Amino acid sequence: MTKDEAEQYLYYAMTIGEQLLCCGAEVGRVEDTIRRICLAYGASRADVFSITSSIVTTIYGENFGICTQTRRVPGMANDLGRLDDLNQLSRFICEFRPKPEEIQRRLDVIRNKQGYSFRTQILIYAVISGSFSVFFGGDLNDMIASALIGIALKLFEAFVKRGALNSLLTVLLCCGAGGVLSNLTVLMGLGHHADLISIGNIMLLIPGIAFTNSLRDMFSGDTITGLIRCMESILLALVVGLGFTAANLLF
Amino acid sequence: MREIIQLIVSFTGSLGFAALFNIHGKKLWFAALGGCLSWAVYLAVEFVTPSPYICGFWSTVAITLYAECMARVHKTPVTVFLVSATIPLIPGAALYRTMNWMMMRNWTNFQKDGIYTILFAASMAAGMTLTTIAFRMAWRWMYRQRRM
Repeated sequence: MTKDEAEQYLYYAMTIGEQLLCCGAEVGRVEDTIRRICLAYGASRADVFSITSSIVTTIYGENFGICTQTRRVPGMANDLGRLDDLNQLSRFICEFRPKPEEIQRRLDVIRNKQGYSFRTQILIYAVISGSFSVFFGGDLNDMIASALIGIALKLFEAFVKRGALNSLLTVLLCCGAGGVLSNLTVLMGLGHHADLISIGNIMLLIPGIAFTNSLRDMFSGDTITGLIRCMESILLALVVGLGFTAANLLF
Repeated sequence: MREIIQLIVSFTGSLGFAALFNIHGKKLWFAALGGCLSWAVYLAVEFVTPSPYICGFWSTVAITLYAECMARVHKTPVTVFLVSATIPLIPGAALYRTMNWMMMRNWTNFQKDGIYTILFAASMAAGMTLTTIAFRMAWRWMYRQRRM
């Protein structure tokens, strides 16, 4: 393998790692995947370091010397369906060692795969809001009110996101709207408990999973990643609290 | 009665989150079933001990085992099932209450809910980490036995 080929394969390994990180994979999985791909193509040693926003890899090999590449990873979202596909792809690569064109083709297929449609997403928001409103002790009226607000929030979120605002500001606006709407439904007589209606919508916006996962990262040895994610989720929770509390103070 | 309703909505809630995370097909239903299981275990352990942290710990131990098995059956990463299954346990409401008390400058309740949130999340994280390590060790051991 020449130096150019090694650089090219490393580029694809990094791309897969970057996309895994964007889909919400654990840092350990990203590092492991890149290392396995590099070793499968014949590197004698691969050092991978990754935190939430960056990946650095250096590979060593007898016939191509040393190659290093870095990536800046923009955002993070939970897209477990794509995570699954990328994981299958990396297994495939480790087993059959395909040519770069083949990897690129498969990456394109994964990128172009359609998720749930916008209508289904609206339904999902309604189901989650309604479920958690009941879960924390709401009655049937609260469930209906919460589901309706969930639909409104999804539409509102899609509208605000089109303006490409700062992500924290988007969340703040959504929370403000959610708080106002939940109080309005109680005033109109549809819902019974404003706080129990809100809790269904809060579960959609509060970074509870990120907070738990950040502690898990710290427990499993990725301290830097854990600290970054912990701070991010506390900041986001602060914004969610601010939004709903401000809306409640209006009434 | 309250428990049965909670079990049903924990199923639909997890189903919703699993779909939000873009899980498709058969895996979606198994992920949602994990959410139902986690709350069932939580309620069952609640009979034995009043401490929510211990309930949370055993519940995450159970669902991590479930997720590890399911991941091997469906050949997917463990995260796919684990994240959706923990949904009913996630201290999201407590995290919100903590922030809410802070905005109200009610420091007594802030401290109470804040400590609850951190400890509960920590006991969940401990449950997941310990079970994952134990399961992988057992799996590797079994694999080696079969080869010999």
